[in-house]
Amino acid sequence: MNRYRIILVENDEDEQMFMREGFESSGLFDIVAQVDNGDVLLNYLEEHKNNLPDIILSDLNMPGKNGMDIIEEVTSNPEYKHIPVIITSTSSTRSIIDKCLAAGAIDYVVKPDTFIDYLPFVQDLHRRIEQRSILK
Amino acid sequence: MEGLTMTDSGNLLLDSIRDAVIMLDKDGFVGYANPAVTEIAGYTQQEMINKPLSILYEAKEDLIKAEYELEQARKKGKFISEGWKSKKNGDLFWGELTIAAIHDNEHQHSGYSCLLRDTSARKQTETSLRQSEEHYRLMVETIRDYSIFMLDCTGHVLTWNDGAKRNSGYTSTEIIGKHFSTFYTTEDLGDGKPERELRIAIETGKYEEEGWRVKKNGSIYWASVIITALFNEQNRHIGFSKVVRDLTERKENDERLRQSEERYRSLVEQVTDYGIFILDEKGRIASWNEGAKRIKGYTADEVIGKYFSIFYPEEDIMNGKPAHELKVAIAEGKYEEEGWRLRKDGTRFWANVVITAVYNTSGVLIGFSKVTKDLTERKENERALKQSHDRYRRLADELKITNEELSYTNREMEQFTSIVSHDLQEPIRTIKSFLLLIDMKLDAEQNKDLKVYIGKSIGAANRMRELIQNLLHYSQLGKDELITEDVNVNMLISQAMQNLRSSIESSGAKILIENDLETVPGDKVQLGQLIQNLLGNALKFTSDTEPYIKITAHKEDNHVKFAISDNGIGIAREDLHKVFEIFRRLNTEKTYPGTGIGLAICKKIVDRHKGKIWPESEKGKGTTFYFTLNEN
Repeated sequence: MNRYRIILVENDEDEQMFMREGFESSGLFDIVAQVDNGDVLLNYLEEHKNNLPDIILSDLNMPGKNGMDIIEEVTSNPEYKHIPVIITSTSSTRSIIDKCLAAGAIDYVVKPDTFIDYLPFVQDLHRRIEQRSILK
Repeated sequence: MEGLTMTDSGNLLLDSIRDAVIMLDKDGFVGYANPAVTEIAGYTQQEMINKPLSILYEAKEDLIKAEYELEQARKKGKFISEGWKSKKNGDLFWGELTIAAIHDNEHQHSGYSCLLRDTSARKQTETSLRQSEEHYRLMVETIRDYSIFMLDCTGHVLTWNDGAKRNSGYTSTEIIGKHFSTFYTTEDLGDGKPERELRIAIETGKYEEEGWRVKKNGSIYWASVIITALFNEQNRHIGFSKVVRDLTERKENDERLRQSEERYRSLVEQVTDYGIFILDEKGRIASWNEGAKRIKGYTADEVIGKYFSIFYPEEDIMNGKPAHELKVAIAEGKYEEEGWRLRKDGTRFWANVVITAVYNTSGVLIGFSKVTKDLTERKENERALKQSHDRYRRLADELKITNEELSYTNREMEQFTSIVSHDLQEPIRTIKSFLLLIDMKLDAEQNKDLKVYIGKSIGAANRMRELIQNLLHYSQLGKDELITEDVNVNMLISQAMQNLRSSIESSGAKILIENDLETVPGDKVQLGQLIQNLLGNALKFTSDTEPYIKITAHKEDNHVKFAISDNGIGIAREDLHKVFEIFRRLNTEKTYPGTGIGLAICKKIVDRHKGKIWPESEKGKGTTFYFTLNEN
């Protein structure tokens, strides 16, 4: 079982907290960083080129650079394009999911019903990553 | 020519003869030529002396021929030839040359006398006569439709042509010399008809009839016969010419023609789509068919004999158009046009008209055929088609516009769905999450943090209410009709400032207004919202420096232009195009409240007022939002 180094992009403070709890308690991921939006993420990547994450998990709708911006900027940058971007959002609308995948997201995962128990979400996410063999 | 002596009277004789008289010595050279030689051959008398006779021949050096002819004269005493002779200048003439040998008293041959006569004129008459005779003979002999032959005075066949052979079946060798009664029926022979016919021809000059005649094979045919008595110049009867025509064929042809005519007539008469009728050479109507009756409304009785100009409007008649059309038809064979014509009831119809000049077999104009087609119906159809085409095109244009509006609405709907499903779910999820946490805390009888969780839930609920209100507002913008009126611009600005008074006061912003406009046409409520949103943004995204806002409004070209500038945080160049996206909130150093719908609303209002809205900005140095109204 692989343990992945992940960056979490989420603007809501409360969500951030519960998300972190879920990822940490799962033992399946190492949280490299937790950032508010795309702008912060890109700054982080710029500053940590020698220590880039295995995966980026990003919310879709955020002030500043949002999930779509992140997909665009990561996939168009030769130094980052190898990093899979997974979008997570409350919406399960097909058109939104398709739009994200078409733009270059490797996967789209609907957020848990409430953010108080993120563990099952994290476990499911790990399973999906393993199944899709998106990482070597 | 010493041997010859001429008396004076002899000289006079020779001088006056119009034919050339030439004396040759025994070797054939000229010793004497009379003056006429000059007129006939062009040589002077002197020029002729000591020349051979052959200088007058067609080939001047033809000594062989000359020698031959002289020899013939010597042997036979005289030689006469007729043929081409040549003049000094080379011109040829037809001449008769008589050469006679001359012998002296000892019967020794001493020379020749030659008489040369120019017979060109006679020759020509002869030639043309022969040619003419030949022509007639050939003509008569080769005529195939008529038997033409001659009888002698007693009625025996003398000549026979191809037509006679074809009609009767006899060849010329079979029939020449036979009596012409061979061609008559037994009854006619018993009746003495052949003799009677000849008698009548002699008495009256000719005999003419149609009657039965017999062919070689015994069959009879209906013949037209003309027997003409022939008299020579001395008015002596020398025989008869007989011209016979087999009419059986013509009779059949007549019947066939009649039937064919009948068929065509009924065909033409029954045609209903075209008016087809005949005009005589003066333009009077001579026939009338069903189509003409249907198109023009006249019956045949009413119209036959009338001038065809009755179909023309008065103006055309004044211009002499009907006569002109006939003239063109005669000159060019056909006249064709489209134009207005009149029906019996005076109504007009748009007609296609073709007038064709009609000639008989002898090439004499006997009238005109006129074919008229009523195109009114076609014109109507064409017009209807065009109208329907235009209608469909308008409809298609409208549909296209509607379609564009629909797809625009559709895109908005999609955004709307995405917002409702995403952004509205977020606060609900937050509320639900905190309610669950509170529930869990209460179960565990832990009162700590409860107040915080309730506060967060209320915050999320408020946010949701705000979102819903804005969304409703946004969606209403496109729905209602614009209420367009002249809106006082100062009023608009002061109203917006009034509504934002607390924000203005708390930010301590300085606001400068430069307005050149009295009023602008538009929806008062929406324009108020527009200015308030832009002013609100300017007040919200202030930097730490003293906020300074400038509102300008002035006329530019054929529209009005507003600008609302601030010295706030500005917008990054790469984000400028994103500002009007619904729910888009750009990155900022610090967190600003808001739903990200304000500028989307502004954009929609400006769109509805046929204007443009755009920001100019530099990060950290403030932003100016421009908008125009009522651009075309």
